Amino acid sequence: MRNRRFVRTMPGTMLVLGTLAASPPLLGAQIGVQRERNAPSVYAITNARIVTMAGPAIERGTVVVRDGVITAVGASAAVPGDARVIDGAGLTVYPGLIDANSSVGLASAAAADNAARGAAGRGGRGGAPVQQGAAMSAPNSLHPVGLQPELAAIDFVHADPDAFSGPQSAGITTILATPSSGIFRGLSAVVNLGGANAQAMLVRAPVAEHIGFTPRRDGGYPNSLMGVFSVLRQTLLDAQHYAAENAAYAKNPRAMRRPEPDPSLDALQPVLSRQIPVVFDVSSQREIERALDLAREFNLRAMIAGGEEADKVAARLKAENVPVLATLNFPRRPQQSPDADPEPTRMLRARVEAPRLASKLQAAGVKFAFEDGGLTNWPEFLANAKSAVDAGLSSDQAVRALTLSAAEILGVADRLGSVEVGKVANLTVARGDLFSGRVTQVFVDGTPMDVRAPTNANGAALIANGTWQITVTLDEGEKPVTLTLQQVGDQLRGTIQGALGSNQIADGSVTAAGDVQFRTTITMNDGSEEARFAGTIEANVMRGTVRIVGHPQGTFVGTKPAGAPGSGRRGSPPPV
Amino acid sequence: MAALAAAAAAAQQPVPSKAGPTLIKNATVLTVTKGKLENTDLLLQNGKIAAIGKNLSAPAGAQVIDASGKYVMPGIIDPHSHTMIDAVNEGSLSVTSMVRIRDVLNPTDINIYRQLAGGVTTINVLHGSANTIGGQNAVVKLKYGRDVDEMLFPGAMPGIKFALGENVTQKNSQTAAQATGRPLRYPSTRMGQEEVLRDAFTRARDYKATWDDYNAKVKAGDKTSVAPERDLELEPLVEVLEGKRYVHAHSYRADEMLMLLNVAKEFGFTVKTLQHGLEGYKIASEIAQAGTGLSTFADEWSYKVEAYDAIPYNVAILMRHGVVATVNSDSDERARRLNIDAAKMIRYGGLTEDEALKTITYNGAVQLGVQDKVGSIEVGKDADVVIWNGDPLSVYSTAETTFIDGEIFFDIKRDQQMRQQAAQERAALEAQDRGRRAIVP
Repeated sequence: MRNRRFVRTMPGTMLVLGTLAASPPLLGAQIGVQRERNAPSVYAITNARIVTMAGPAIERGTVVVRDGVITAVGASAAVPGDARVIDGAGLTVYPGLIDANSSVGLASAAAADNAARGAAGRGGRGGAPVQQGAAMSAPNSLHPVGLQPELAAIDFVHADPDAFSGPQSAGITTILATPSSGIFRGLSAVVNLGGANAQAMLVRAPVAEHIGFTPRRDGGYPNSLMGVFSVLRQTLLDAQHYAAENAAYAKNPRAMRRPEPDPSLDALQPVLSRQIPVVFDVSSQREIERALDLAREFNLRAMIAGGEEADKVAARLKAENVPVLATLNFPRRPQQSPDADPEPTRMLRARVEAPRLASKLQAAGVKFAFEDGGLTNWPEFLANAKSAVDAGLSSDQAVRALTLSAAEILGVADRLGSVEVGKVANLTVARGDLFSGRVTQVFVDGTPMDVRAPTNANGAALIANGTWQITVTLDEGEKPVTLTLQQVGDQLRGTIQGALGSNQIADGSVTAAGDVQFRTTITMNDGSEEARFAGTIEANVMRGTVRIVGHPQGTFVGTKPAGAPGSGRRGSPPPV
Repeated sequence: MAALAAAAAAAQQPVPSKAGPTLIKNATVLTVTKGKLENTDLLLQNGKIAAIGKNLSAPAGAQVIDASGKYVMPGIIDPHSHTMIDAVNEGSLSVTSMVRIRDVLNPTDINIYRQLAGGVTTINVLHGSANTIGGQNAVVKLKYGRDVDEMLFPGAMPGIKFALGENVTQKNSQTAAQATGRPLRYPSTRMGQEEVLRDAFTRARDYKATWDDYNAKVKAGDKTSVAPERDLELEPLVEVLEGKRYVHAHSYRADEMLMLLNVAKEFGFTVKTLQHGLEGYKIASEIAQAGTGLSTFADEWSYKVEAYDAIPYNVAILMRHGVVATVNSDSDERARRLNIDAAKMIRYGGLTEDEALKTITYNGAVQLGVQDKVGSIEVGKDADVVIWNGDPLSVYSTAETTFIDGEIFFDIKRDQQMRQQAAQERAALEAQDRGRRAIVP
């Protein structure tokens, strides 16, 4: 708790924190976790291709990290005698990837916080009405939940290896941890996805105030989009007035009653003075324009997060120097909804256009980085970055957006974003290329993290994800099919193609133990039938039974090729 | 406050028309204010109606449209619309004068285009009727495809929505609120609505006095006083008191309308329009005397208790008493058929054709404070006109071309091309989509 209060110091001094936290491993050592003291702290990756972002790539070179800092980079950098050496032949070393807007590690924290608060009878929470199921609230705030700009993400970040394994498997070492609900959502923090506790993870806070145009759902004001803008305006006006009142009081305290302190209005002072930017979480053209209008009205430093239609506002974004944290959670074809068939043109267009956003922003000269957009299926993060590359962004530009550009936009380029001597030892190591190979290891603050099979938000491994070659044995004989499965949580979607026709699967599910089931329509000699598949997944093998009305029970068995993304059980040995 | 007003004024500067001149020849021109002109030409130039007459010659570069056998009328004005908004009601409080329809306008709403196809050019986008004092309205020209700022009607009077009666008492949703344990919202009676109005305007008076005091002190050389807090709820009500903002009040029953007119009189302002006002015919003289207009449905009633006494002769009776009356859509799309609603006013109540047309054109312009710019075909007015293939008061007629500020925003031939383009785009998107795996493995 002492640390937390330390972080929550007075507004005027909060920006200093970034420098205090510049050497997180050192802090970790002081806190004195036994395991950390005994862990080796010097590593050298040799014979690797190094994409430094500080100059041309080094085709074959060495990176040395010591005590959490990069100490040598080069084609002929010496390997220290005490270093643990990793042969990097066939590997590429990148700066640790930055997810420029994320709630990783925050959601579970909020749940824990809510549970604790429930047990404590919500004492001492300032009497503000708490939304049902709402996430985070700031202590002693005079404003209701969702309208607390002082809420600091760093207070809610948990060191949560389970939550981090998914993003780490996508090469992400650093996120902008962002409170994701409400209107005035609070202050974000740049944190590394590794470390003993939130303070050890912290790189810089506060980074930005986050705003979403989300009406309250508990019936209180504002419960409409219109009201959201009125509240934003009135609160910013109140903050201006608060500053004037406090200035007058400071000048002559005997002349007036002391102004009532308000942490929310305190937190908005650096926003109004443009010391910290405002990130608007908005997607459509008109939402982006509304955000820019508000920023103009109050002379705020704006950023756009999400920004699916930012290309339509590109000229204005460029002119007003507004960076975009572009989502990599691309829209999907709707399934089992009234919009599924025929899919409206606007949705089809959004889906086809999504990968083109980044290259359009690049062409228009708009600064951009990438964010996860709340996705939970982590293999999509790099897969969608790759489709942005396929849609016209150069590979270098994509890597830059994921590293140095993000660091620049978030104000941490002095310590993150490139492989340079003196920077924080955050590295992402891929076999082959980041977009066509796969991430094998990440270093966070100089500590190697073995990349585990991707997991979803619930911590369940994505064991079913991927393309399976299956043989279905029925009374009509053996039928080879290809199952393409996408796992989201415990839900399965996908297609079956081959000797039984081409169809979507429905009602698919998979358990943590590997029990899998789904149904689909199959085409047999005597017409279309509904088939129910039920079985188990063990390592790379899926087997089970097929039930078809009017036919004897069939069986199926098959594998998916090793090394495909999402293969392997969670906890399998890291394949560096 | 002055800075904000200046910014708002800047945003309302008219954008010069990008259209070249257009000469519409040989039309039957329904001027609305100056009768029906047969075989008449109409010249649109620089966004204005430049000339009306016979055998006008076309200026260089003008597009010439032969409108023989066709009708031209002013663009239709819908005085009560809920088109192109991403929110209708801020119903959480009984006074939400701080919310603005302007903030939630959606210039890409397809209903804009559909209404252009019904000959509509101007709409008054109103907040809903969930609370006694609702939000600020926006008067919009339907320039589909343009930025919001270009669509706002330059010089239209700012307004605000009020509401009385059953929608405000929230009898149904209050039962639901009780069931879910949410607090009830005051007021739940018409008595309470009157009190909310008095309370709000009393606070607005006090607020104005506080600022007047402060401004006087500053004027007298005071450099130390801190300016009072800005209050976005009360600022628009001060504007109402100062006659700088119109009140458009949702109401049904005669008693509640009289109540509002009395409160307005007491606080020294005029209610610009009663919206719906289904029982207006019972108090037509009082409404006329108050200088208040009324905007209603052509023929809808009995959909709730307070609508039982509605009659289709309402508009005609009000107009015979000198009330500026209009017919509206109260909808996000029904304005496409306002010409038929106007025709019904001839069937019920015996309005003349010009009077019927006024209920969807000129009278609406008066209710929005823009009658010197739109609402009739007169030289010097904005070139907001519509070519119909027959008499617009006939169910068999169709709007063919809709001009705003001299620019075409709907044309029935161009529409066919646009449908083809949309089909082509769709096919191209589907072709691009086919190669892409829908599922990321």
